[in-house]
Amino acid sequence: MLGKLRGRKNGIFTKSHNEDITLIGKSLEDCPLDEDEDAFQGLGEEDEEIDQFNDDTFGSGAVDDDWQEAHERLAELEEKLPAAVNEQTGNGERDEMDLLGDHEENLAESLSKMVIENELEDPAIMRAVQTRPVLQPQPGGLNSSIWDGSEVLRRIRGPLLAQEMPTVSVLEYALPQRPPQGPEDDRDLSERALPRRSTSPIIGSPPVRAVPIGTPPKQMAVPSYNQQILCPKPVHVRPPMPPRYPAPYGERMSPNQLCNVPLQPGRMSPSQFARVPGFVGSPLAAMNPKLLQGRVGQMLPPAPSFRAFFSAPPPATPPPPQQHPPGPGPLVQNLRSQAPMFRADTTHLHPQHRRLLHQRQQQNRNQHRNLNGAGDRGSHRNSHQDHLRKDPYANLMLQREKDWVSKIQMMQLQSTDPYLDDFYYQNYFEKLEKLSAAEEIQGDGPKKERTKLITPQVAKLEHAYKPVQFEGSLGKLTVSSVNNPRKMIDAVVTSRSEDDETREKQVRDKRRKTLVIIEKTYSLLLDVEDYERRYLLSLEEDRPALMDERKHKICSMYDNLRGKLPGQERPSDDHFVQIMCIRKGKRMVARILPFLSTEQAADILMTTARNLPFLIKKDAQDEVLPCLLSPFSHLLYHLPSVTVTSLLQQLMNLPQSAAAPAPSNPHLTTVLQNKFGLSLLLLVLSRGEDLQSSDPAAESMENNQWMQVMFMATRELLRIPQAALAKPVSIPTNLVSLFSRYVDRQKLNLLETKLQLVQGIR
Amino acid sequence: MNYMPGTASLIEDIDKKHLVLLRDGRTLIGFLRSIDQFANLVLHQTVERIHVGKKYGDIPRGIFVVRGENVVLLGEIDLEKESDTPLQQVSIEEILEEQRVEQQTKLENEKIKVQALKDRGLSIPRADTLDEY
Repeated sequence: MLGKLRGRKNGIFTKSHNEDITLIGKSLEDCPLDEDEDAFQGLGEEDEEIDQFNDDTFGSGAVDDDWQEAHERLAELEEKLPAAVNEQTGNGERDEMDLLGDHEENLAESLSKMVIENELEDPAIMRAVQTRPVLQPQPGGLNSSIWDGSEVLRRIRGPLLAQEMPTVSVLEYALPQRPPQGPEDDRDLSERALPRRSTSPIIGSPPVRAVPIGTPPKQMAVPSYNQQILCPKPVHVRPPMPPRYPAPYGERMSPNQLCNVPLQPGRMSPSQFARVPGFVGSPLAAMNPKLLQGRVGQMLPPAPSFRAFFSAPPPATPPPPQQHPPGPGPLVQNLRSQAPMFRADTTHLHPQHRRLLHQRQQQNRNQHRNLNGAGDRGSHRNSHQDHLRKDPYANLMLQREKDWVSKIQMMQLQSTDPYLDDFYYQNYFEKLEKLSAAEEIQGDGPKKERTKLITPQVAKLEHAYKPVQFEGSLGKLTVSSVNNPRKMIDAVVTSRSEDDETREKQVRDKRRKTLVIIEKTYSLLLDVEDYERRYLLSLEEDRPALMDERKHKICSMYDNLRGKLPGQERPSDDHFVQIMCIRKGKRMVARILPFLSTEQAADILMTTARNLPFLIKKDAQDEVLPCLLSPFSHLLYHLPSVTVTSLLQQLMNLPQSAAAPAPSNPHLTTVLQNKFGLSLLLLVLSRGEDLQSSDPAAESMENNQWMQVMFMATRELLRIPQAALAKPVSIPTNLVSLFSRYVDRQKLNLLETKLQLVQGIR
Repeated sequence: MNYMPGTASLIEDIDKKHLVLLRDGRTLIGFLRSIDQFANLVLHQTVERIHVGKKYGDIPRGIFVVRGENVVLLGEIDLEKESDTPLQQVSIEEILEEQRVEQQTKLENEKIKVQALKDRGLSIPRADTLDEY
C-alpha cells in the first residue's frame, strides 16, 4: 500500500526491509501552490497507486528543476541567513502558504520563511492558521490509530500506513514542506516544516533545518498525531562536537531564528534565554519531553541544544485535556496530551491495555503539572532526573519517537493465540500472579501493583486465499506465492519392501517409527494437558464437545502406547517396550499415566514390570526410569489387591506355583540392583501390606494369593546374595511389619539387614 | 513511565550509560541515545574499551551507530559503581601494545597445537575459518 505522497518533488521511493515506502530524497523545488491545493482537495478520495501529482515524475520537477543546484544554493543561503531573516516577523501566514507550496520563490526568502516555524506558536501565525479551511474530520474522526486502515492514514503525509512501519529517520528529512493534505491548520505544522534537503548535511556544517532543532512538534489533529506516532521526527544529530554546554542556542539555532521568535506574554523567547545564562541548567528538567506530556498552558523554557521546545498556547484558552479540541485553534499540546483528547481509537486494544495507556498519560500529565508548576526548578524526584538535567544531550530521542518504537514493539506482540505464540511468558506471569494472589491472601501486606504488560489481542481472521484471477481470461494464472505455493517437485513416496533392506536398516526404520509415534503421542498429550485451560475459557455449549475430544485423544494416546492392532488383544509388549527404550518415551509415559483410566494404567504398569530388566538395561545411560515412580505410586493406591499380587509376581519374576523349584533369579537381581526397580518393589510391597492390614476381612481368595506370593517373595529375597543393592528413592515404613508376618525373627533380621529396611542401619 | 513491563524493551535505557558487547568482540561504552525496533543503537560519547588481563584502555570514538544484529549483549552501567573496579586503566598505546602481545601469544599457541595435531594425523578446523552461518 502506498501512502499519498502528493506534491512531492524528487521523491524517490524505495522499499525498505520492512517493505515500506521510504522517501529518501527530496529537493527544495515544489510545484506551484495552486496545483498543490487541488491535489490536497482530492487527497483522501482516490485510491491510485501512482501519485500522478508527483512533480518529479510527471510534473515540472522532471523537466526544469534541478535539485542539486537548489541544494547548493540553499547551502550558500544558509550562510547569508542572518541578513535575510529579519523581514520575516509576523509573516506567519505567508509562511505557511509558502511552506505549503510556493517553492518557486527565491531560496533566500523561502529559507528565511522556513525559519519562522509555526511550532513557535507565534500568535500571528496561529491566527493565520485559523483562517485556513478546517480539515474535514477523517472517517472515524479521532479514532485513527496505528491500526487503522490505509484509507485514513493516506491522508497523513508521508508513507505512514497501518501495517507498515516506516523506517525512521530518513523520512522526515526527506519530506518536503508541502504535505499532501488540504487545509493545514490542524495538521502538525512541524511535520510540514521539514527541511527541504535532499542530501545529508556535510559533517560539521550547520544542519539545514527549517525548523530549529529545538522546536516541538505541533500536534493538532489526529492524523498528525498518528503521523508523529508512526513517523517520529528525528532530531538532527550533529556530528560530535565538544559539548559547549553553556551556550544555549549558539550554534544550534541560527541567530535569525532566535531573534525572530515573536514574544508573547508569558512566553520567553529563546533569545531571552540566551541572555540568561543562569537558566541554562534548570530548563533541562522541564525540557524532558517525557515530562512535558500533558502540559497545557504552561510555558517551558527551551533548553540549550537538542531540546524539544514546547511552547504554550495563550494562557487564556488552554483546552482541558480531556475534551475534543475545539478545532484548529492556537492549540499546542504535546503529543501525549493529545492522546486522551482524541481518544485515539483504542477499541481494538485490550480494555486493560487501554486503561493502562490512559492511566499512564494521566500520570504523566500530573507529573508535568507538578513539575512545571514550580517553574523551572521543579522538585526533582530522583537522581535520574538530576542526571538528565545535567545531561545536555538527553532526550535526543523524542517522546513520540519512543512511543513509536514501543508501538512497533507492541504490534509485534500481537497474537491471535498468546498461549501458542508465547507460552513461557504467559505461564511465567500466571505463576507470578498466583504467587502474589496467594501472598495477598495470607498476609495483608501492601498490594504490590505489578504493572503487567497487556499485549494487544487480535481477533483471528480467517482468510480464504483466492488466487488472482482475471476476468474474461481463459484458464488460470499460474502464480505461486507464499499463500499459494506451487508444487515444485512431484515427489512420490514409495514404500520399500522388507526384503530389500538390510537388518540395520530395519532396525533404524523401526526406531524412527517409534520416534514418530512418540512425537505424535506427545502432541496429543500437550493438547490433552491444555484442555483444562480451554475448558475454563470456553462457552457452556462447547464444553461437552471439548470433553469428548479430550477423551478421544486420551484413547488415541493409549493406543499409540500399546500399539494398536485392530481386532486383537495386545499380545505384544514390544511396541511399548520400544517406546520405553527411548528417554523421551519414558518421560512421556510418566506424563500420560495420570490421564489414563485405572485399567489402562495398570496394564502399562504390568507391562513395565514384566519387562523391567530389559528396560533397566536400556535405561543405564539415561537413568530416567525413576520419573515413573511418582505416577506409579499414585496408581498403586488405586489398584485392587489382585492386581497388586500379580504385579508383585511379575516384578519379582516369581514362579507360578510355590512348589516349583527355584532357579536363580537374575530378573530379581537386576531389579534389586536398580534404583527404580528396588523402589518400585518396595512400593508394591508396601501397598500390599496396606491392603492386607487395612482390610483383614478381605476375600480369602485374594488373601491366600497374596500370602503365597509373599512367601515366595520372602524366600527369594532371602536367597539372593547381598549384592550391591541400589538405593531406593524412599523406603516405606510398613515393610518391617510386612515381613514379620511371613518369616520368623531370625530371617526377619536377615531381611532387614539385607534390604536395609531399618533406618538405623543405613 | 513504565514502558512495556516484563519485556526487554530498550526504551527505558535511553540516555543512560551502557556497555555494549559486539559480535566482533569489541566493547563499547557510551550513552544510549536512540533505538529502533531492530535494536539498532545510537551511542553517544562512545569509548571503545580494550581489556587485556587486569588492564584496560579507553579509546574515545565519538558517536556510534550500531546495527542491532551485531550486538551480543548490552547492559546499563551504574555510574556510582563504575569507578569501583579492580582493573587498572592504562594509556591507549600501552593497551594496544598489550593486546598485540596477547594476540601474538595466542596465535603461537594455536600454531603449536595445530602442529601437534597434525603430527598425530588429526586436523581440527579453526572456528574463524568456518562460515559464520
